[in-house]
Amino acid sequence: MSAIRTEALTKHFSVGFWRRRPYVALDALTLDVPDGEVFGFLGPNGAGKTTTLKLLMQLIHPTSGRAEILGRPAGDVGVRRRVGYLPEHPYFYDYLTAEELLEYFAALFGYAGAERRRRASSLLDEVGIGAERRFQLRKFSKGMIQRVGIAQALVNEPDLVVFDEPMSGLDPVGRREIREMILRLRDRGCTVFFSSHVLSDAEALCNRVAILAGGRLVTSGSLADMLAFQLRGWELVVTGLTTEALEHARGLGRITKATLLGGDRYALELPLSTPPDRILADLTAHGAQLGSLNPVRETLEDFFMRQVAAVKR
Amino acid sequence: MRALVIVAVNVFREAVRDRVLYILVAFAVLLISVSFLLGQLTAGQDVKIIKDLGLAAIATFGLLIAVFIGIGLVWKEVERKSIYSLLSKPIRRYEFILGKYAGLALTLFVNVAVMTLAFYAVLAFLNTRFPAPMRAAWPAPATDPGMLLAIALIFVELLLVTAIALFFSTFSGPFLSAALTLGLWVIGSFNADLRNFEAVLQSPAAGWIARGLYYVLPNFAAFDVKAQVVHALPVPPAYVLTTAVYGVVYIALLLTASVLVFDRRDFK
Amino acid sequence: MSGRRWLFVLLALLGGGVIGLQAVHDRAGGPPAAQTPAMLYVRSPEAMKRLALSYDQLLADVYWIRTVQHYGGTKLSNDPDKRYDLLFPLLDLTTSLDPRMTVAYLFGAVFLAEPHPGGPGRPDQAIRLLEKGLDTQPENWRFAQAIGFVHYWWLMDYPTAADWFTRAAALPDAPSWLTPLAAVTLAQGGRRDSSRRLWEEFARTAEEDWFRNEAQRRLMQLDAMDQIDFLTAELRRGRALPGTPVDPTGVPYRIDGGTVSLDPRSRLSPLPTGPYTLQ
Repeated sequence: MSAIRTEALTKHFSVGFWRRRPYVALDALTLDVPDGEVFGFLGPNGAGKTTTLKLLMQLIHPTSGRAEILGRPAGDVGVRRRVGYLPEHPYFYDYLTAEELLEYFAALFGYAGAERRRRASSLLDEVGIGAERRFQLRKFSKGMIQRVGIAQALVNEPDLVVFDEPMSGLDPVGRREIREMILRLRDRGCTVFFSSHVLSDAEALCNRVAILAGGRLVTSGSLADMLAFQLRGWELVVTGLTTEALEHARGLGRITKATLLGGDRYALELPLSTPPDRILADLTAHGAQLGSLNPVRETLEDFFMRQVAAVKR
Repeated sequence: MRALVIVAVNVFREAVRDRVLYILVAFAVLLISVSFLLGQLTAGQDVKIIKDLGLAAIATFGLLIAVFIGIGLVWKEVERKSIYSLLSKPIRRYEFILGKYAGLALTLFVNVAVMTLAFYAVLAFLNTRFPAPMRAAWPAPATDPGMLLAIALIFVELLLVTAIALFFSTFSGPFLSAALTLGLWVIGSFNADLRNFEAVLQSPAAGWIARGLYYVLPNFAAFDVKAQVVHALPVPPAYVLTTAVYGVVYIALLLTASVLVFDRRDFK
Repeated sequence: MSGRRWLFVLLALLGGGVIGLQAVHDRAGGPPAAQTPAMLYVRSPEAMKRLALSYDQLLADVYWIRTVQHYGGTKLSNDPDKRYDLLFPLLDLTTSLDPRMTVAYLFGAVFLAEPHPGGPGRPDQAIRLLEKGLDTQPENWRFAQAIGFVHYWWLMDYPTAADWFTRAAALPDAPSWLTPLAAVTLAQGGRRDSSRRLWEEFARTAEEDWFRNEAQRRLMQLDAMDQIDFLTAELRRGRALPGTPVDPTGVPYRIDGGTVSLDPRSRLSPLPTGPYTLQ
């Protein structure tokens, strides 16, 4: 089953004060997010990521197209019992304490009494809000608000969470904690759909990604598939390499780049056309020892830049 | 329904945290200090003046709360984006709107109730300071329960003002909402004059417009029976009933319109 | 989507309910507040002037509008014993807040002097108001002339009226017809032709439409009085009247036996009483 499915989901906004003209924020997005995975929704600023997420949450109404969440239409209020949402740059009632906010939201899901308090308190523990939970939210820093935002998205033990830029405003420690939490959610069987423009997050977390640019879907699929095709060559680290042996290998056109790492350690880049075992045999024959051999893949960043650039062109 | 109650309670909590209840202190201070001053200045009319002032103050303070909280009810949530996380919870948009309204209605009820208690307390105290023959000459006793009728109609009026403020707040900013709400309140208070305008206006078209406005705009003048109760004049029960029903129907109209507007809104 | 349609139906029903209930209110005579004596909280012009802060001009306008509303509203009401109790206090407040509001003195005096039921019938208050105007603008001939007029028309005190017309004539920019008017008033005050002359001058020189219309109405009243006298004389002589005669506004006269009178629905009714039967 799909956790999220959209069909030709489109949103036009009117812009301009005097002569209003439509602006296509999202253009016929068809997307399928499978159940139980971590799915990254990537794209540069203004690509339409937040628009898509708001459409899914029915905060804005689609111009055309359909969206389904957990097999139900996105407008269905019942389905929201099983969904958690973290808005971009969240803001909450600053006259409430973190505890009160979570209890308020928990009440909307029907939690009551001691259970509600327990739920609020364990979530705040989980996102690392300590004694500050008794302070009014107006005293909270941006990072702490972000944590509260994540806690409130999880208040109903959702089957699907939709996070809009979950890492924004967090320090490196916070980012790691949230990453770990996302993986824990996945292990619990919860689908995580998050938008980000930070690719390392996606690379570290996602099974699949979709890339959005200029309101259009550029590509989507398994991260492994997307990147495996893009094997660029090999990186070979060797020690005890003589200059003659290096020149020899270079002369054969088998090395695209050699970098001296220090002492007699070299990092050699081999093109995809060179079988690494042959050249390794060659070099060891000249007295070199193998340090490591790694495939060089395109990073998500390279891939992303290429895709986005293609759209812009 | 549950969601509605939860939102309403939160509105009340916000009002309390934002120190709205301080207005009650202002009311009590005003009433007590004026009655003290009057004791020094005038003779005989104290009770009548305190009644006038108290009823007017209940209406005015209530109006301030209704307008200035009412205009922020929806606008603030949208502007600060706190509505994003709220509406992603299992709550329908109409529950949100009606919950907001109910919350402010609750706030107003508590405020009006406390002001009424303070009002009667001051009057009861004043009552002890006049000899019996003087009291006998008053048209009504100091703590005349008949004034509750005027307060009840004031409360319905405040609920109507709140509905207007909420309606404007579903699609416009606070300054425009406040201006429109107060503007409607002022025009509505001159409602009877709108009816007589016809006789004064030259062009028949203007007369038709005045007559149309007379029927369509909220008739706030109808809720004002302060002068009657202070002078202990009869207020026909049928009149009170019609006016209250008028208020309730008008409120229902505004809330329906608010739900319709809010339902279609995009929160960009 | 059909839920939305229901909401629109509900909206229409509630809208109808609001209008219907307002109509019920209207039938019942509106709020009872309208039936109790209207209140003027601050009657003291001095206090009001202080309370008005820097808004005295604006408040004067507001009170002027209230004055007109009060006068017009009372005049139009069907209450048989309607009263114009607030008229003088309102005018007093208006002219205290803005002492140079000439129109308030002049119109106000007309309102005040008008006899019941068209007005409170208080020429004394009219004169008081005009004298207050003359205190603030001693050079304004209009006030003196208007005082003379009240003496002439409502109090029928022709020597005093002539005296005021003479005073008015002496003021700057006074029109030249005031001096002969004073003389005629003194010589033959109360006669219909001198009255006609007074009103003709008013109609000719009035700057406000309202005053001109009023003067023309008075002239038509004088015509009607002439016509009634003529018709009565004809009847007395036993002559048949040709058809049904109509008054200057086109409303037929009422002929009852030997007497001819205005239809009360005519806008000329009631005719002024007093010395005008004298030729």
